[in-house]
Amino acid sequence: MFANFAIDLFVTAATFGRLVTGQGANYFLFIAPGSNLITAMVAAFQSGRDVWREKYIKDLTSYLLTLPVQRPVLAFSRVLGGVVRSVIATFPGTLVICYLYGILFTPKVFVAYLIVGLFSLGIVGLSMAVSAFSSSIEMWVTIRSVIQLYLSFLSTLFYSVNVFPQLLAPIVSSNPMTWAIQSFRQLSPISFAQVPAGDSLGSILILAGPSLAFAMLGTICYIWYSKL
Amino acid sequence: MSFLPTLASALSSPPLAKESSTRLVFQMALRDVSVLFRTPWIIITRSLAFVIQLFVFAYLISRLINVPGLNFFQYYAVGSVVATIASISFVIGYDIFEEAEEGVLDYLLTLPISRRQFIIGRALGGALRAIIYIIPMFLVVAVIEGFAQPLSILSALLSLFLLAFGVTGMSITVAVSVKSANRFDVVLALLELAVSRASTALYPIAFMPLYVSVFAPFSPVSFAADSARASLVGFTLDLPAIVGLVAFVVVFLGLGAAFYFRRLEGGIYS
Repeated sequence: MFANFAIDLFVTAATFGRLVTGQGANYFLFIAPGSNLITAMVAAFQSGRDVWREKYIKDLTSYLLTLPVQRPVLAFSRVLGGVVRSVIATFPGTLVICYLYGILFTPKVFVAYLIVGLFSLGIVGLSMAVSAFSSSIEMWVTIRSVIQLYLSFLSTLFYSVNVFPQLLAPIVSSNPMTWAIQSFRQLSPISFAQVPAGDSLGSILILAGPSLAFAMLGTICYIWYSKL
Repeated sequence: MSFLPTLASALSSPPLAKESSTRLVFQMALRDVSVLFRTPWIIITRSLAFVIQLFVFAYLISRLINVPGLNFFQYYAVGSVVATIASISFVIGYDIFEEAEEGVLDYLLTLPISRRQFIIGRALGGALRAIIYIIPMFLVVAVIEGFAQPLSILSALLSLFLLAFGVTGMSITVAVSVKSANRFDVVLALLELAVSRASTALYPIAFMPLYVSVFAPFSPVSFAADSARASLVGFTLDLPAIVGLVAFVVVFLGLGAAFYFRRLEGGIYS
């Protein structure tokens, strides 16, 4: 995961940072948190894939039914487990971004992890919900890829919302990645011309909405499809 | 997993000795082409990724790039075709790994076809299906950018085919040399990311950081991208890039065949 992040950041983002100029601030720093959030997204989706493999490849459902734990608790713990895994997978990446943003030795570093965790919560929930409705791995991979395309390219990861045609603006504004990356950028003392001023609390609260909803959806779908 | 009816009938009825080896190799290759096109989800996903990358990402980001003499949208359009063919060529590795996991490989080995033909057929199939898959995207870019010289287009397609052939060999090498499913996923994804991103497919070498620009010219994706651009935009042949591509094909096809052969024969070469 860190290797993926490093390639994204130190190859792609660094190169685009040199290509895109005249945007009012360092473009590399503008897109840098995106590398970490993409890694978080990939790690979070891995949880859904594991759940799918448990069901269709490893046939672990009957074993899971024998566990001495309440079913809703088990289901939600799967979501939380995915979040923890995603935060661990992005742990060094988050530190690198915090270093680049000059907030590594400030309490804001904890807020950075909170953002990654909240974002991952939504994606883990979403990926588990996708697992519930995908009868083949090809379908699962397709839906995952579509969601990843939406999160990556129809968000403010690479450009600000006003660059998009007006038709796409609502889609971009309702993208969880938009709010995750905005809250990350608002942690930085650097003022990006494309990012609204203010602290990241407002953006985090907006991010929390879809994240909690997706986590709930993932839990319900897990209970339903595992026939727990 | 399903198979071409023609393959089943061709392989089951006549004796092996009477079959032309070229025909058997093509039967194997056609099976791989058929397998990819019977999984429409993969085609839909990668086509969608191409469309969004080109018409959303490249369109929007090119408005932010103001480098004199660089038409970034055109640069990215050609590069995204090259990156996509590299990406789709890697899929053969997943197929081969899955076949081994699910036991389909055992069935394939019972077919009346020599190991050598089997391996060459797989590699050729991987490359053929990638080139078939990429042609509509290539046409989209050709229409948008006005590439109309038949020789240039043929030369660019040849570069793409060589890349696909080499990447297929690389993917087979990884698929048969890594045993853990998770490790295989990680290695292949990382390899795919590294050869595409650290290349001149998506951005010019002049803008890469020094530590990338040192290696980028030697990426097979760079060879194919440089060669395709030279043909389509400059109407010339980039001979060093083509030589690099041929070397890449020879090395990885050889390695892929050797590793695959060793695995099929329980570690024994013959």
